[in-house]
Amino acid sequence: MTLRTKLLGTVFAASTAGFVFASPASAATICFAFQDLETEFWVAGHQAITTTLAEAGHTVIERNANEDANRQLEQVRDCVAQGVDGIIIIPQDGESAVTIVNEAQDNDVPIAVFNRPPSDLSKGIIVVADNATIAAQAVDFVAQEAIAANPDETLQPLIIVGDLGDPNAVGRRDGFYEAINRYPDNFAEPIEVASEWDAATALANLEAAITANPDIDLLFTSSDFLFPTIRSVLEPRGMWVPRGEDGHIMMAGLDGDATACQLIKDGYVDATGVQDLYFEAESAMNAILAAIEAGDAQPNDVIEDPGFALTAGNIGEREMDMWGCVLLSQGFLDQ
Amino acid sequence: MHSPRDREKVETIAQRRRSVWVRARSIILSDYFILWLSIAYFLALAPFLPTLTNPANLSNLLSNTWPLLAVAVGQTFVLTIAGIDLSQGAVIGFTSTVMALLAATTASPDVLSGAPVWGVFIDESGGLFHGLPFSVTLSLVVMLMVGTLVGVLNGVAVAYLRMPPFMMTLVTMIVVSAFAVWITQSENIRHLPEHLIMLGKGDLISVYFGEQDRSQIPRREIFTLIGYPAIITISLAVAAHILLNKTVFGRQVIAVGANRKAAEISGVPVKRVIVTVFAISAFCATVGAILYGARLEAGRPTLGEGTFLLDVIGATVIGGTSLFGGKGKIIWTVFGVTFFVLLSNTLNLMNLSTFHIDMAKGAVILCAALLDVARNRYAKELGS
Amino acid sequence: MSALLGLHGLSKSWFGVPAVSDMTLEIPSGVCLGVIGENGAGKSTLMNMIGGVVPPTAGSMTWRGTSFEPKSPADAKARGIAFIHQELNLFTNLTVAENIFIDDFPYRFGLIDKRQMAQRTRVLLDRLNLHVEPDTPVGDLAPGERQLVEIAKALHRQAALMIFDEPTTSLTARETEKLFETISALKADGATIVYISHILGDVKALSDHLAVLRDGYLVAEGPTERFDVPAMINAMIGRELSAIYPPRTSKPAAQVVLEVDGLSQAGVVEDICFKLHRGEILGIFGLMGSGRSELARMIFGIDPTGSGSLFLHDEIVTGDARDRIARGMAFVTENRREEGLMMDAAISDNLSLVTIEDFGRPPIALLDPERVKARTEAVRDEVRIKAADIATQAARALSGGNQQKVVIGKWLLGAPQLFILDEPTRGVDVGAKHEIYTIIDRLAASGGAVLLISSELEELMGTCDRILVMAQGEITGEFAKDAFSEAAIIAAAFQEVAA
Repeated sequence: MTLRTKLLGTVFAASTAGFVFASPASAATICFAFQDLETEFWVAGHQAITTTLAEAGHTVIERNANEDANRQLEQVRDCVAQGVDGIIIIPQDGESAVTIVNEAQDNDVPIAVFNRPPSDLSKGIIVVADNATIAAQAVDFVAQEAIAANPDETLQPLIIVGDLGDPNAVGRRDGFYEAINRYPDNFAEPIEVASEWDAATALANLEAAITANPDIDLLFTSSDFLFPTIRSVLEPRGMWVPRGEDGHIMMAGLDGDATACQLIKDGYVDATGVQDLYFEAESAMNAILAAIEAGDAQPNDVIEDPGFALTAGNIGEREMDMWGCVLLSQGFLDQ
Repeated sequence: MHSPRDREKVETIAQRRRSVWVRARSIILSDYFILWLSIAYFLALAPFLPTLTNPANLSNLLSNTWPLLAVAVGQTFVLTIAGIDLSQGAVIGFTSTVMALLAATTASPDVLSGAPVWGVFIDESGGLFHGLPFSVTLSLVVMLMVGTLVGVLNGVAVAYLRMPPFMMTLVTMIVVSAFAVWITQSENIRHLPEHLIMLGKGDLISVYFGEQDRSQIPRREIFTLIGYPAIITISLAVAAHILLNKTVFGRQVIAVGANRKAAEISGVPVKRVIVTVFAISAFCATVGAILYGARLEAGRPTLGEGTFLLDVIGATVIGGTSLFGGKGKIIWTVFGVTFFVLLSNTLNLMNLSTFHIDMAKGAVILCAALLDVARNRYAKELGS
Repeated sequence: MSALLGLHGLSKSWFGVPAVSDMTLEIPSGVCLGVIGENGAGKSTLMNMIGGVVPPTAGSMTWRGTSFEPKSPADAKARGIAFIHQELNLFTNLTVAENIFIDDFPYRFGLIDKRQMAQRTRVLLDRLNLHVEPDTPVGDLAPGERQLVEIAKALHRQAALMIFDEPTTSLTARETEKLFETISALKADGATIVYISHILGDVKALSDHLAVLRDGYLVAEGPTERFDVPAMINAMIGRELSAIYPPRTSKPAAQVVLEVDGLSQAGVVEDICFKLHRGEILGIFGLMGSGRSELARMIFGIDPTGSGSLFLHDEIVTGDARDRIARGMAFVTENRREEGLMMDAAISDNLSLVTIEDFGRPPIALLDPERVKARTEAVRDEVRIKAADIATQAARALSGGNQQKVVIGKWLLGAPQLFILDEPTRGVDVGAKHEIYTIIDRLAASGGAVLLISSELEELMGTCDRILVMAQGEITGEFAKDAFSEAAIIAAAFQEVAA
């Protein structure tokens, strides 16, 4: 039984027995320092780590920095003073992550950075998602589906790009082009719609683009949080149609939030690229626990999360690997 | 019927009760009340929180005290003239950015090329002053000047345009912070020179406690006792103490806070004093920016946001500087910051959540403010 | 003529100090009674008793022959007593009609009947010769018009007795004239009026009957035609100077210290000219609002000056208070709590404030605590502040007299040449007054020039070498010591020519 299913066990409060992982000689005290709990993604990530560690008999000391990098540094120092065996942080940003990793390693405490990579990847255990690969997986699925539906036509793809000052947005766009360019004969030049990670901007730009170009066959949004915006543009135009019905636009996103999970289930969205949060949590924990076991105070490793695409095709088997679906199953959207 | 003896007894009890009250009152009113309180708090909690007395923790307590104290020293001056400086946090964010823009050794175009400062202040070859002789010193001097200038603007608006300090510094807070975020497009600026980073964490005197084996991996236990931040902040505090409590200027600051009209009629250059006080506040915030920025190894436009201001004003008020003006001592602020840092530290060690910690801090600051009101009332009762 | 309001042995004392004593007076219906007296003669207390603001300590009142014991201002109002004050009680954000009907809006079908209200208001306003629309907001009206609205309100309530308390202080000459016409018209209609004023000529012209108050007693009463203005003044004063004033120990020199040349500020003071000599104590007497305190503040550079110039030792004076202090000026303001003292600061901190810069040692102006201690203690002894530990004791803990000595003392540290004192003995007991007069005499004897402003004429006559009188922003009289005459000075302050 993998840790992943174990996690789901705890989430569902079902008492599944026996889990396997590198169990240390004695229970460890782990300091988990995160920066806020304001989006559903972080809530899920936080839950993934704390419940798993606690279930495995380790003591978790939680520290919330409330988006203050200085406070996080002080909290990590407090953790070090408290004599914790290892530290896992979700940093406020890449720069403070470097400082904090150095601080911990200088004090001989192994540290892992979860989800938000430090600017310098050479120190600490760093678990990082590869945005381009994840985006490519999701886009590849919808591209194939679109080609299968209309093999002889030249299809029109559209991408809603994020704020290109953000490396995540750049990676996601790169992944999109990588997948589309695999089928040069089937796709026309993609239409780019800027969102600047802002729903209102996305709404205005998307409306303009759709009005100018009503024949869209494939749509990729760089983040799932824009799906409600997309719906509000497409629905009045009769373009918000579920799979299998005439006029369905192939749609893919990235993030894997609860809304996206619901939309895939309802058939409006076909795929979303997901950071494998549970894989990331598991890797971070295992690496830290292994380092403690081995007595390695300065473990350095980069663990890449390839992510996966949750699609209309595989939702049956992989639903519960996606954090958004886990939250959804807990009634997150009903709250 | 009471016998005379009974009455005597009643009187002595009443006298004793009164003398206890008088003593309690004199302790509460004394300069050192918060110091005694801190010590009592520390001793009371030490048995329950073993980590509290751990040398690593004591070293943390000290290192957390220095930058906060530097900023609170500035706030003390402003509170003493019955003002308030809400812009200190924004000044910290802005000046730490300025510091990095001037001193950085290099910068990545991937991160910063979209920012308005790119190519003007900073590019791949580093900040504006990088490569010049004494570039770190030069950067710090310019940064301190920029920070102080923000304070001068606050002061001029308060003194000459009669803006309420609350309003003016609120506006400054919003504008300066937005400006810092805009010029950097909210990116942190890394690659500070080693010399500069040393100011934030370099230690001068460390203490070795032998190997420690509480954690599973044995640690080298070397703790910073006195680092550069300690030297910087202590120098600043001593200078501020002399300025506020031993010089003509200090007397004038207190006079402006005690009774601005009377001060004006007595020939105190009230406007000049107000401008200087706000300049000092911003200067101290900028020193805080050096310490915070250097220890995080980056210039951060968002540094000092959030509840930071609560910490600064809270610590100052806990020390005993009156929100009503006319009363302020640097030594009080030293004790206030000590107590506040100790409080945060112990709340952390109790493993409370951030929300509970903030609630507890808020409650303590409320108590301090009530104490301030009570002290004022006692003082008036004593008078009448 | 039956009495509308009767006062029978009416007395009021505050904490044992009598303010009104054994006042017996009848106000017949349809009469205009003038009431005059100096500040503190008991006029306000008397009116407050009639108005139900304070209860009498002894005696009784009757209203239309029956017992009258108002428990509150509303009680008095309900009986038909209306006050028209210098500070008006109108809502400036409401209209004229709404103000008049504020207590009893006319209703029609459950709604305020605006039409009826406007109609009735117009009738009232016409009677007062005030031509404004009923729906004009009171805030848009001039002070004189507002006063007429106040009268209209009284008329609307059919007040039987209208009491005018200094109604003309904020009015222009034109407005005053109109008010008098209105009052005459009301009299002709048979209204009963009490008219209180410092302006004796007005009282004489308007009233049928006169009551003169002094020290809480009714000292003279009778038909107005039996009094001329000097007789009114004599009745108001009627007392010899007491011996609380120390003798002057020096004489003024010829050397001019301060010359004020044509100082003016619109609406405050007008063309003030005088000279103040070395060793001279020059008094300025005037009623409240005469511009005396404002003049002092202008000389010291705290209040703005429109035109005119000041010379100190023949050199022109400019700049703010700070510059003037540097030139040797000192100013004890009339309200020591607000402008004189840091109440919660130590006495020595208060004493050293003015000269604090002299105690700094270069380069950073580090204070010399020993010198501060020595100098402040010397001044404490000089002005006899009764406090042992001036370094810790707060100014708040001192009595009024000692607080005032602290304010004077802080200036003495700087050895100024020109001392301006505004009401230096206000709220100070007799013993401390004597000490303050002694200090003032010493200031002059040691070569200083003193400008002493007071509303207590006795005090000025007892201490000054010369007295200037101000009324309505102008100097209306100047009296050398040998020409001091209480009657003449008061006449000048009331802008009347004493016969």
